[in-house]
This record gives sequence, structure tokens and C-alpha cells, in this order.
Amino acid sequence: MGRYRAGKGRALKNSRRHRLREFQMNPEDRFYSACLDPSGYARGLKQRTCGKILGYFCSYAPVELIHAAGLHPFRILGGKGEIRLADAHLQSYCCSLVRSGLEAALNGSLDFLDGAVFPHTCDSIQRLSDIWRLNAGFEHHFDVVLPVKLNTLSARRYMAEVLNGFRKELEQAFQVEITDEALWRAIRDYNVIREKLESLYGLRSFNPSLFDPSAVHRITAAAMFMEPGAFLKDISEYLGNVEPGVLGGTGSGRKRLVLSGGICSHPDIYDLLARAGADVVWDDLCTGTRWFEEKAEEDGRDPIGALADRYMARSVCPAKHADVRARAGELADTVRRHRADGVVFLMLKFCDPHAFDYPYLKRFLDEAGIASLLLETEDHPPAEGQLMTRFETFVDML
Amino acid sequence: MITAGIDIGSITAKAALIKDGELAGTRLDFTGYNAPKAGRRVLDDLLEKTGIKKQEVDFIISTGYGRNSVDFADKSITEITCHGAGARFIDPGVCFVIDVGGQDSKVIKLSRDGKVVDFAMNDKCAAGTGRFLEVMARALESDLDEFGELSARADVPAAISSICTVFAESEVISLISKGESRENMIAGIHESVASRISAMAKRLGVTGPVMMTGGVAKNSGAVRALENKLGVSIRVSPHAQLTGAMGAALLAARMEQSA
Repeated sequence: MGRYRAGKGRALKNSRRHRLREFQMNPEDRFYSACLDPSGYARGLKQRTCGKILGYFCSYAPVELIHAAGLHPFRILGGKGEIRLADAHLQSYCCSLVRSGLEAALNGSLDFLDGAVFPHTCDSIQRLSDIWRLNAGFEHHFDVVLPVKLNTLSARRYMAEVLNGFRKELEQAFQVEITDEALWRAIRDYNVIREKLESLYGLRSFNPSLFDPSAVHRITAAAMFMEPGAFLKDISEYLGNVEPGVLGGTGSGRKRLVLSGGICSHPDIYDLLARAGADVVWDDLCTGTRWFEEKAEEDGRDPIGALADRYMARSVCPAKHADVRARAGELADTVRRHRADGVVFLMLKFCDPHAFDYPYLKRFLDEAGIASLLLETEDHPPAEGQLMTRFETFVDML
Repeated sequence: MITAGIDIGSITAKAALIKDGELAGTRLDFTGYNAPKAGRRVLDDLLEKTGIKKQEVDFIISTGYGRNSVDFADKSITEITCHGAGARFIDPGVCFVIDVGGQDSKVIKLSRDGKVVDFAMNDKCAAGTGRFLEVMARALESDLDEFGELSARADVPAAISSICTVFAESEVISLISKGESRENMIAGIHESVASRISAMAKRLGVTGPVMMTGGVAKNSGAVRALENKLGVSIRVSPHAQLTGAMGAALLAARMEQSA
């Protein structure tokens, strides 16, 4: 979007080399490349543009504010490497996202970051924020202490105050002014990205055979890594080339599934489910619909209010509260709306909020006659043999 | 009609033949490192034992963790579905199956018509599996076949607080050095296994008559400990670890019939 200034010398050479490589790639290649090596993508972006990059861990991070400040918001999804440094700072019952995220910060894998923002979600992320601040050594650090309850007027007022506070902190830290105009522009950019991702999900639900099993997952992840303007251009071109075909596609007899949980950083899971005879048609994931659903108002007078309203309107994650049965009701509705045959819960091991929610969600689905399967994941998925035994049995069961 | 089920488990390979709705024979052997070879061997041995020729077998279903390595099978189905079908074949009243094998334990809920409606299995951990018992038997220099009988003689089961196989083994060694009786330690080991499996079963919700299958079903001490933890009486599959192969053969017969 022209926010990144071209640098001199090496940066210019890199830029030319990058443009040549980009020219030879199609949008799908670029999504996959960003998804395969997010850090490599971010490092390249930084070299080309000399821009600043701010990392974030969860879908409650106000990416529009970061974007409006002229920074690149970069989603940290952890890694799959060996944990050598992080364990010295963490207890053994921390989830793999926290462990591998901290490891990446400590071992230099995130050296392209200028800082990170930690929205108030689960306890582990709160404590990670402190450990990160003390040990990671990045120049900038932000805590965005969002309200926990998201269904009251006072929470809405508090949410707006917190977002305003973050806006001022960003302005101060990076010596920029985040004008209302810039913020509206960022809101519009992200609204279009969300709209495109929703279209992509809609096409998959309409006809799963249009895509490789893990394609939609990879593209959605790429949206969280790539520069918004570049992603928007690519996703528009990509969607323009998708022909919807016929309802349900060619996969007769195949089962339709909804994934529910926190983060999913395992494209293999989609491929293995496909091998077992099922297509993922929708999700309720922090790295999926919870990142892109609900658009912020574009026509109001208060852009911060528009952002606050979006967070109040979208589905809550289990670290937040809207209504005691909100998540279960929405999940069951999603299953019905997308004619799904069942739900696979992807639970990150040691993720307390999701673990606490699971028993009631499972009971609710059982009572609604919706079959479900629980799968605990970590930075590496379970062994393929065990995974296929679970998936094949579940698909047979449906 | 003759159908075969072949179950390649982590420790043993099993085969079962069903002829006109009746069990014609079973065979069990160690899997070893070559799962495809074990599948072929166990079926060949069973055919020889029963006098049935290979070409007479109408349909073969493979199951178990090595199910996809049985290249001569007509279809593969997971051991969860097969243990459910096998348990129902043995006892039509069964609604809940606990299958404890060498490397995993599974709880399976069946519908009235015998279909799997829910299940859970252990994850990445040997606690609550046959392997756990094997490690403990080695530490106690005892034969696994005697475990049931020895644990029945325990007065106060020893508390094994660790659920990790390696740490539990250290705990057992430490109990040995303190002079704890072997009977009490074995009973404690069974309680440890039962705690793990019963927690998984309770999460699923135990319904109706329960049957235990898999190799650990042969261990009366483990079955007794599970009955105490769950507060229900458990029907033990007389075919223990052969139940999955029988279920596979039965499902093969159904498929052949409906073809």
C-alpha cells in the first residue's frame, strides 16, 4: 500500500531480485511461500521497505491500528523447532504456542520484529508478555488490556478507551500520527481482506473439491503474514480465477466437517482428513473465522468506536465472555448452516480456556445430535498412524 | 461364505476366519519388525490350521496400526470399529467397549445397532497400556501372566503416584528397596492403569453393559481394578486381543453380503 519506503543500496538490489522472483510466481505460490516461511517473508519485506514490523499472537490484536501507524502487523504462530531457551523461563504446562513463540524470540528467529503487542486473552499470554518484555530484547512492547466481558455497555466503553490508549502508545513509540483518515483507510483495507477470506471460505463450503485440502488454511494464514496491500492484490486475482462449479463438488459420499478450537498451524491435518474421506468446510478457529469474521463499520464518525464494535460483535474466544452458551450455540448454528456432518475440536495441549470450554461444548453438540472428535495438538501434530486411526473411525462413524 | 480379519497390533498380529456366520478359527503371533510379513504369516498359519484354502476366502479386512501394510487385504478399517463389531459379535448386549492393547487404550461407545457413536483413545503416552504393564513386570522380575493372580493376594495396594511409565518404574524400584510386597505393588500398578483408563471412559460417559477387549483383558487384576474405578461389572472378551480380528472378519462378511 506504499507505506514502506524503498531503502538504499542492498535494499534496492534485494528489491529488484524480489520483484523478479515475484514476477515468476503466481498468487498461490506467494501464499504458500509466505505460509511455509513466514519469517523469511517478513525479513524480505523489511529489507525491501525498511518498514517496521510489530508481532502479535492473537485475533484480538487491533491490526488496523498497527497498519494505520505505518507498521506491518505480523502474526506469530510459533514454530516447530527444538525448544532450547524458552523452557528456562516457562513452567512445563505452557502451550506450545507460548513455548515456541518465546523460543523464536530468544533464538533470533524473529529478529525482524521491532516489537510485539499482547492483547489481554489467556493467563499464559499475559505472563508471556512479561517474560518477553524482560528477556526478548525488542525495542517496543505493548499490552492491550481488553475487557473480558464483551456483552455490556461498560465493556464497550472500556474497549474503546483501551484502543484509544493503544493508538496513543503507538504514536508515541514510533513518532507518528495515526490520523482518523489513516485509520479509516486501514479499516477499509482489512474489511476487504476479511470479505475476500469470507468469499474463499464460502466457495470451499459450496464446493470443497475446488481447492487442495489445505489451500484455504494456507491462504488464511498468509493473510496474517503478508503485507495487506500485497495480499489483497493476490487474493483478488486468485479468487477471480476460481470457478465455483457445482454445489458440493465431485466428492459424493464425502463427509463435511467444521474445525473448532484455537490455532491450527498444521496443514497436514486437512490433508489427513481428506485422506480419511472428509472435507473441512468451515471453522471456528483463532487462525480462521475468528480472525476475519465481522467487518468494522466504515461510514461512522469514530473509527475507534468502529473497531470496538467489531470486537463486541464477533464470536468470542473462550478467553472472553459474551454469554454462557454463546460459543456452543454459534458452533451448532455453523454446523447447520454449512450442512456439516460433524465437528473436530483441535485443542492445543495445555490451553486452559479451550479445555475448560470443551466439556460443555461437547455436551451441547451431543444433545444437538452433532458428532464430534477431540484432537489434542502441539507444535507437532500427533503421530500420523494414531491420527489416521482417529480420523478414519470418526468419518466411518458419521 | 468365508471372510478373514487381520489385526496388526504393535506387539502381536492376529487373524480370524468366519465361515457362514460362525468363527472358524483364530491365530496369534508376534508382529516383529516386518508388519506386512506378519500379516501374511498369521493368515497362512490360520488357513493351514483350519484346512481352508486361500482362494476360498471371499473378503479380507485388515485392521490395527499396521492395517495399511497388509497389501493383500480388500479393505482396511480401524481397530476401533473392528473391536466394537467384534465385541458385539461375542455379546450382542454390549454397549461400551474398553480395548487396552500394547501401545494404546481406547474406549468405544456403541449404538443399539452396534455402530460406533463415540470413542476416545490415549495420546502420546504409554500409561494405561499393555506396554506400561510389561515395563512394570520387567522391573518386578515377574511374569505378566501371573499379574492377575498375584494382585488378588494384595492386602493394601501400593500407591503409584506417577502416571509416566519411566517415573512409575523408578517408583516401583524405590518401593522394592523399601520392602513393599510384590502383590501390593502389582495391585497398585493395576490401579494406576485403571485410573488412567477410567478417566477416559468417564469423560465419554459409560453406558450399558461393558466389555473389555485387547491383550490386557486377560489380566484379571487390571479388569478388577477397572471395575472398582468405574463401579460397573465388566464382561471380559473370551478372545481378548483376537476381538479386533474377529470384528474385521465379521465386517468383511457384511460387506461381502451387501456387495
